Amino acid sequence: MSEAVLARPAAVSLRLRPSSGLLLVLGLLLLWEISARTGMVDSPNWPPFLHVLAALARDTVSGEIPLLVGSTLARMFAGLAAGTLAGVAAGLIFGASRLVRRLLGPTVELIRPIPIPAIIPPLVLFLGLDDAMKVTVAAVTAFFPVLTNTAQGLRAVEADQLAMARSFGVPAHRRLLRVTLPAILPYVLAGLRVALALALVTTVVAEMIAGEQGVGHYLVLMQFAGRAEEMYAAVLVLALLGYGLNRGFVLLERRLIGWFYATGRDG
Amino acid sequence: MTGITRRAALGAAVARPLAAAVAMPLAGAVAAPALLAQAPTKLRVSVIPVLDVAPLHAAIAQGYFAAEGIEIDTSSTAGGATGLPGLVAGQFRIAFSNTVSILLGIREGLDFRFVSGASRSQPAPPDAMAVMVRKGSGITDGKGLEGKRIASNTRNNIVWLRGMSWIDRTGGDYRKVTTVEVPFPQMADALAGGQIDAAIFSEPFVTAALQSHGDRIERIGWPISETAPSSSVAQYVAMKDDLARNGEVFERFARGLHKGVDWVNERLGKPELLQLISGFSRVPVERLQNCAFTAYPKDVSEAELAEVISTMGRHGLGGRYPAPAELIFRTAKA
Repeated sequence: MSEAVLARPAAVSLRLRPSSGLLLVLGLLLLWEISARTGMVDSPNWPPFLHVLAALARDTVSGEIPLLVGSTLARMFAGLAAGTLAGVAAGLIFGASRLVRRLLGPTVELIRPIPIPAIIPPLVLFLGLDDAMKVTVAAVTAFFPVLTNTAQGLRAVEADQLAMARSFGVPAHRRLLRVTLPAILPYVLAGLRVALALALVTTVVAEMIAGEQGVGHYLVLMQFAGRAEEMYAAVLVLALLGYGLNRGFVLLERRLIGWFYATGRDG
Repeated sequence: MTGITRRAALGAAVARPLAAAVAMPLAGAVAAPALLAQAPTKLRVSVIPVLDVAPLHAAIAQGYFAAEGIEIDTSSTAGGATGLPGLVAGQFRIAFSNTVSILLGIREGLDFRFVSGASRSQPAPPDAMAVMVRKGSGITDGKGLEGKRIASNTRNNIVWLRGMSWIDRTGGDYRKVTTVEVPFPQMADALAGGQIDAAIFSEPFVTAALQSHGDRIERIGWPISETAPSSSVAQYVAMKDDLARNGEVFERFARGLHKGVDWVNERLGKPELLQLISGFSRVPVERLQNCAFTAYPKDVSEAELAEVISTMGRHGLGGRYPAPAELIFRTAKA
């Protein structure tokens, strides 16, 4: 019997054991259904969960939700890519230069805590209501966590590793590519994981504020149309998207920096 | 005979939506090929997905704008006041908004000018707004609301102004009533749940609230028709400079829009109109069937603006406003 077959019952029992988080999720959904059906929460704004699932299935089959999700994700990933590239570049400079840290550090620390939705109105003023504004929102969201983590990672690169590479005569650009960048990758990915969750939120918020694009606009439209089932279907989609993106990212992370976890450290 | 070739005219005509060709009136058909031969003028319009913008969507669907050589790109915002900053910033050429928000912008020095009427209240009930309270609360008028909390979707807009005016008209003092901002979709729950004592609803939320919470809440007033029948509710505005430079474009916009107004007014209460509104607002048709509709005017009158400015002045929104005649562009004059 192969190892895979042997492993399957163990995985199943792991999912169904009483302490499994999945049971809590199922319990909460059941509570939702019961509270709506029995009148514990008596409001058309609190439809039964099964009605929400039916609305989700209807709008998925019609193709509306897949299109909306696709457009939201396209904006989010475009912003995430731009923000990550800029964040890594700026983080390397920050980590490498004390002068730059002294000069720009206070500015970064002042801007970093500003909630991104607060800067959407000025972004609308300069960038309009369409993709440029929404991609920028996602990019700014990704920029700061990646920057700070990259800078921190660069400072944490072990001096011995660099000294050894130097003593072996490895030129500077190869030291950057072969020693420094792999060493900071766990830090960059940790920043990116935070950025990924935040970018989904801020992209949807930007869609909710203006324009007629994406899941965010659909959610507001359905709320104002009094169609609670469809509104919660959008909320459900966002929850599943967030969960799926995070799980996907963890898998990617394990593949990219398996050596990091192999040393016994936890991301 | 114009200089346009037959092939070019045909090619351009095919590129327009079929609806435009079908709906194009015979009188306009002679002039249309010349307009269609050119690239259409794109106009971005800020709207809210509410009943009041039905004529704009009708004009788009029926091809009235296309026949005028205009391509309309609508962009929804959460409220009319949100679209006005976008108009100032040049993100939109035209914005749909309520009269109070527009006039407040003008008071602050923003050069908005009315290019068309959009909605006006009916002369008698039912009107498109309602003051509602919990059943058994004992509140029946503005006097009874003193010391209580009333919800408005936003402060300082037309809904709030008419609500405050209704409180004063029915024996109360609006200064003794606390206004809290609650979005329309949450008003019925907040009222039924006792978080607020009253709320100023607008359609289709009046109908939705009475359908879903009719056993617990009731209407006690018509805030528009009891204070200012046939009064101003909302309009389309553009920037003064843009109108001065491109007046002809806005004339074409108004012509297309006003054909949409005629289309809507001819179909009030009919399934065709309800389907159109349901299409852009996503409000179910069965709910729209019970909604009270506003009147859809083409013009903006000096008298209606003067009435709003006067009412605003009595409710803490006074100040220096230009004479109404200066604010109405030629396309909105009766």
